[in-house]
Amino acid sequence: MRLTELLRSVFYSVGANKFRVLLTSLGIIIGSFTIIMVVGIGKAGEDSVSEQYKRLSVETITISRAGGMQMFRGGATSSQSTLSKQQALDMETLEHIKSVGISVSTSTTVAYGQTSKTVTVLGVNEAYQEITHADLALGDYFTDDDGAARRKVCILGYNLAAEMFGDDWESCVGETVKLKGLSFTVEGVLARVGGSAGLSSGSGRSEASTSPDDMVYVPYDVAVKYTTGGSTAAGARMAPGGAGSASYVVLATDIDSVNLAVEEIKDYIYGIVQSDSMYTVADAGSTLSSALQTANTMSTLLIAVAAIVLVVSGIGIMNVLMVSVNERVREIGILKSIGASRAAILMEFLLEAIFISVMGGFLGMGLSFVAPKLLEFFSISYAASAYGLILGFCFSAVTGIFFGFYPAWKASRLKPIEALNAE
Amino acid sequence: MNNVIALREVSKTYGKGDGAVRALSDISLHVDEGEFIAILGASGSGKSTLMNIVGLMDTADSGQYLLDGQDIMKSHDASLTRLRGRKIGFIFQKYNLIAKYSVLYNVALPLLLAGKSYGQAKQDAAATLERVGLGDKLKRKPAELSGGQAQRVAIARALVTNPTLLLADEPTGALDKKTGEDVLGFMQELHSGAGKTIIMITHDQHVASKAQRIVQLEDGRITGDH
Repeated sequence: MRLTELLRSVFYSVGANKFRVLLTSLGIIIGSFTIIMVVGIGKAGEDSVSEQYKRLSVETITISRAGGMQMFRGGATSSQSTLSKQQALDMETLEHIKSVGISVSTSTTVAYGQTSKTVTVLGVNEAYQEITHADLALGDYFTDDDGAARRKVCILGYNLAAEMFGDDWESCVGETVKLKGLSFTVEGVLARVGGSAGLSSGSGRSEASTSPDDMVYVPYDVAVKYTTGGSTAAGARMAPGGAGSASYVVLATDIDSVNLAVEEIKDYIYGIVQSDSMYTVADAGSTLSSALQTANTMSTLLIAVAAIVLVVSGIGIMNVLMVSVNERVREIGILKSIGASRAAILMEFLLEAIFISVMGGFLGMGLSFVAPKLLEFFSISYAASAYGLILGFCFSAVTGIFFGFYPAWKASRLKPIEALNAE
Repeated sequence: MNNVIALREVSKTYGKGDGAVRALSDISLHVDEGEFIAILGASGSGKSTLMNIVGLMDTADSGQYLLDGQDIMKSHDASLTRLRGRKIGFIFQKYNLIAKYSVLYNVALPLLLAGKSYGQAKQDAAATLERVGLGDKLKRKPAELSGGQAQRVAIARALVTNPTLLLADEPTGALDKKTGEDVLGFMQELHSGAGKTIIMITHDQHVASKAQRIVQLEDGRITGDH
């Protein structure tokens, strides 16, 4: 029998059982959709991790307050000395360290005219800007002198500038915006960093984007004086390493001395706070690889879950086809009596299984084009990828073939005379 | 005259041990080309088993079976299927049409299974349906037809491949007397007019009398042939 004829009879069967076919393929739809989404979300996660670290060169070492401990220690924290700004900056005198960048972040509202938005405000020193390779699209960086003089100046992220000033953003230097109700003069606009909006980078302030494109930069001392403290003190406790507590990025003198620099820093910090566990010191290379690994593990785990969904739906397909074979035993007998070969019957049922699962695969693909809109709502970023689409589709097709084979084979082995006399 | 069918000492037993039923014992039968033969027997006489073996739907345990000169006992499933499609046209008591397909597609199916193109198969099927007087019912579903019409569709399906042998199993069993007579008349016409070889299985003396030759079967043995 020709393939086109087999397909025609498959369409007859499917057409006669539309609802059942749809229910059966539902599992496949969800399975392939899940795989595509998981791959997309995983990829977006990896992209965002890479994006975050792209601006850090390998000589970069980050120092951050270790999580957890503060909450349990309670009052002890205040009596125990932490790293002060000056002590941190003094690390520059260590042999293998070139410069020390400081940042402190908080989230607050920024307003210009009628526009107002909750943003992440990052208080940074001059060295931080160099270390993170933040290029400017407009204007100039503020300097440490601006910080020392407590000048209320700021630099806007690219997207934020475009959002606040619209088409006039190119002339926004010198304009005044309100940060937490205080007037700040715009000194410059960062060049677009681009990339995905990014998974929230783990700092716990989920309401404001952590992409540099959406942030406001102010001098460190200005941030400490005006925008952090007070209102975010509680937040500092709740979110270790979060608002109110500074993070440091240190640049080693060269790539080869990164490990030495890490040791120096650890020793230096121990000398001050008498603890190994209070600060985490990590170089960019190992931070990046462990972050990527985490993202990777998540993707793998989720793909495994999606695969289980597909296996379960595959069993569903098998069940429906078994019922379908049993219902059509007589038809199979008739077909055999008029010359249908085993191969033709096997192919007909197998094609039906493949049709159901491939249709499910396509519908899952279709859903995956709609769903990112919904994910956006939940601030989950998603990167569409051909790899995900192909993987989702292949999985669904393979499920159909694998689980469709047994019922099809069973149908093809029916004895013609028994099939024909079945009631 | 060629032997279309040559059976020699064919036996068939169902089941094993004490419960075994010997359905056919040492049946020898020759059917020539162009014959219209009725196999007459009560239920349990083995006539259905005989038809299934002759129609390649079942295999004998022992003996020899030549269909159109070809040794069937030595053939395997795939070639039996091919032979069945090419040489034998079945007509069943319950028509055995596929309900979801149109009349035309039902008749076209044996041709499609044999590898013909859809266009060609449809054309041949339509011509055959015309021949059985159902040229105006091509698009109908089997359920929309009367018993007599459905049986004619089944006859058209049996004829469409132009088989060597027509095998009819109680073709009038599900029909009322009048339509039964019509169908029998039509089969006689196929025999005398078109020269078809027909084997008809029945329990009804009157139906059997329409055939040219009657073979009587009792308890798996041939008890009369005239």
